[in-house]
Amino acid sequence: MRIRALALLGIVAAVCLVLLTVQMRGRTLGASEALAIVTTPVQTALARINRATLGVWATYRDWKNVRAENRRLREEAQRLRVEALRVTETDAENQRLRRLLALKESLPMETMAGEIIAREWGGWVRSLTVNRGRGDSVARLTAVIAPDGLVGRIVDVRAGSSVVQVLTDPASTVGAHVVRTRTPGIVEGEPRGTLRFKYMARDGGGLQVGDVVVTSGLGGLFPGGIPIGRVRSIEDRGAALFSYAQLAPAVDFARIDEVLLLTGNAARDVAASFKGDG
Amino acid sequence: MRTFLAIAVLGGGVAHATVGSALRIANVAPDIPLIVVVLLALRRGPEFGCGAGFVAGLLQDAASGGLLGVQALTKAVVGFAIGTAGSRLRVSQPLVQVPGLVLLSVLEGLARFGLLQLFHFPAPFGELMMYVVLPQALYNGFLGAALVLALAWAERVKERTAP
Repeated sequence: MRIRALALLGIVAAVCLVLLTVQMRGRTLGASEALAIVTTPVQTALARINRATLGVWATYRDWKNVRAENRRLREEAQRLRVEALRVTETDAENQRLRRLLALKESLPMETMAGEIIAREWGGWVRSLTVNRGRGDSVARLTAVIAPDGLVGRIVDVRAGSSVVQVLTDPASTVGAHVVRTRTPGIVEGEPRGTLRFKYMARDGGGLQVGDVVVTSGLGGLFPGGIPIGRVRSIEDRGAALFSYAQLAPAVDFARIDEVLLLTGNAARDVAASFKGDG
Repeated sequence: MRTFLAIAVLGGGVAHATVGSALRIANVAPDIPLIVVVLLALRRGPEFGCGAGFVAGLLQDAASGGLLGVQALTKAVVGFAIGTAGSRLRVSQPLVQVPGLVLLSVLEGLARFGLLQLFHFPAPFGELMMYVVLPQALYNGFLGAALVLALAWAERVKERTAP
């Protein structure tokens, strides 16, 4: 067995050395070509299989890359959307604060800025909670305004916050007049969340839709000239003593975030500060 | 079985030049025919190892366009040697397989270089060892060990499923 194996090795070695010697003497071998006849088709087939396999693999890798890129781009888009929202929100806040600051600077009285921290919108009560309270020396019945007009008055002062009764609260009444006709009256809140202007019928002959209603300043609670709303419709009540006009509030109570508390002397007229809105 | 052996030897020799390139890592490709010859020689003895090495090496020489007979001779020697020594080695352990195949690959590389020197092969020894023989030997070691483990696992599965 061992001898056979050694003999085989000897034969193999001899064949190889002969092959090498013949090649080194510059002679081409028929054996090489004969082997090529066998190997070439096999190599061709294997190369095709190899290419096909690599092609499938490359396709899979491409697909995987595209999926990963797709996921990355989705995340990027999501992040940018959030970023854009944040920028928009910041921009909007910036504009609101600029308007509030402009109003604060134009008012001829002391004011205090406050932030709305809660809203009560049930119908029985319509109020806002502002983050200014007893610690800020806020007094009850302080007028609260926004850049667009009157918001309401403080009805409850707490340690770190105050409750603002909004104009649309059913218990809210404010002395007012129509800018164009000087028709005096009272603005009342209604349970359905709207405002109405109640006036003596004999004074309201010339009232028109679109007329601006502002605070009258009578009673010393609210300064005069703060926009309350515009006449939306007028109710014709015939021979009744009082007439009513539905108002569109000047302030969107559901959307305001920052307000000014008028802490100074409220006996002055501030119409000039709102002239752009009237 | 004979068909399988023929496919293993012939396929190993021819596949190396085509499919082997797909297994390249950092420009190092394994010597698949050498691994096949070693695995077969361990199982079938020196005669078969020698014959398989000769055929696989010859095909490899022909496929690569090199001198016909160089790898045929070195692989035949490796097949014979490992077939003779295989019964005395504990080749089932990966700790033996990896360094064993690495060593065999280095020896085959040295033998090939020595043989080619007789025919005035111009490549410098140091570079050849550093960039060709040693990296390929390491790759052969790990790939061969993986193949041995895979074969052992396949045999165990076959035994379990046999009625």
